[in-house]
Amino acid sequence: MTSKDSKGKEVFREIKTYMPIPHQLGRGDKMGRGPYDKSGILRETSLAPGKQTRETFMIPFPSGETDMTVTVELWYLPFGTKSDPDNAFLWRKETKKVSLEKGGV
Amino acid sequence: MKRISKFIAVFALIALPLLLTAGSRDAGAAETKKAKTIDELAAMYDSSSCKQCHEEIYNDWNKSLHARSIFGTGRTAATIKTTVEVGLKGWKYSGVKKAEDVELRHLMICAKCHLPQLADATDAVAKEIVKAAYTYADPKTSDSEREKAIAKLEKVNINCLICHQRNAITHKWVDGTPDRKTVYGSKNGDHPAPGHPKMKTSPIMSESILCGQCHGQGPNFELENPSQCATLYGSYLFSYRHDGGQESCQECHMKKSKLGHNMQSYRSKALTDAALDFHVDMLPHQWRDGSKMVPETRVQVEMVNRAGHAIPDG
Repeated sequence: MTSKDSKGKEVFREIKTYMPIPHQLGRGDKMGRGPYDKSGILRETSLAPGKQTRETFMIPFPSGETDMTVTVELWYLPFGTKSDPDNAFLWRKETKKVSLEKGGV
Repeated sequence: MKRISKFIAVFALIALPLLLTAGSRDAGAAETKKAKTIDELAAMYDSSSCKQCHEEIYNDWNKSLHARSIFGTGRTAATIKTTVEVGLKGWKYSGVKKAEDVELRHLMICAKCHLPQLADATDAVAKEIVKAAYTYADPKTSDSEREKAIAKLEKVNINCLICHQRNAITHKWVDGTPDRKTVYGSKNGDHPAPGHPKMKTSPIMSESILCGQCHGQGPNFELENPSQCATLYGSYLFSYRHDGGQESCQECHMKKSKLGHNMQSYRSKALTDAALDFHVDMLPHQWRDGSKMVPETRVQVEMVNRAGHAIPDG
């Protein structure tokens, strides 16, 4: 989730991660990483089947501005970074311009 | 009489272990000869002749990651190296000090799903796979050597004979051990192929449990040192089915997606489109903090997972 001001400068960024966070060797308080290291789930934030996941973000407008462009991207990223085309998949993207009403009381 | 009793007792002592051995052999894999090389293992499970009659299905399968299950996109092969370097070599009791020490039992933590037929091979095949994975993952490897390593790793895979024979029966005490001369699908009868002259119905061919053998419930406790890759089948059972879901893996990944044997997941637009409802709503407004107006926008993102399992798994 990012938003940009009227000049294209990024003014807000927030990332949320959805995944089963694997338990390292099924013990303690650490997350495991490779398949050899994982046994069980330490914490679960993946999208559950049939369930709705709702996220609410409050983004302040940049000082003195009445317009802002907000982009929401949902990536499937099993490994690596978003710049790796073999391992990063953009599933959904929505960009909307939001504006405050002019005038009023 | 006493001599006869003694003879019966001695016979029983000799025969009982033999009978027990024969029984356990029947209950296990039908193949008794172990492959000593990747080439031998590839030949043991060679499904290339299936293409002669099932060309479209074969070509579909060939586009899937099942066709390169031990190489993957390269990430699987690289993870084999990481498993040895970070896992096996670092564990006090694994018996692995260097890559050459890896035995079949070690590699089964990957191969249980990525190459289940490795159970029908010797330690030499495990070592050959590890060597090829190291060659592939080494940045100093030349392009030609890397290509050779990839080709070697792609010789063995999850092919027709894994799903339609080796893994086509999960409950062997109920349905018997898969016969190496039979292919298992949706029909019984003769099968006009020299190596596989019979076909039989597999009771699980259209059931999720077929896929669940590999697409996992979590830690693989049957291993000496459990590994965990997939948790999809656990999520399917304990969340999707729990909440009333009724469709099978095959219905979404093969039929509705129209992908057939080119079974895909997050790389397929057909599946990713179907898997998720995604809606974004925005409400720009001015919050009044006493006498001061604070301009802000609410952004609400609603997602509904329409798949039969968690997204992602792992």
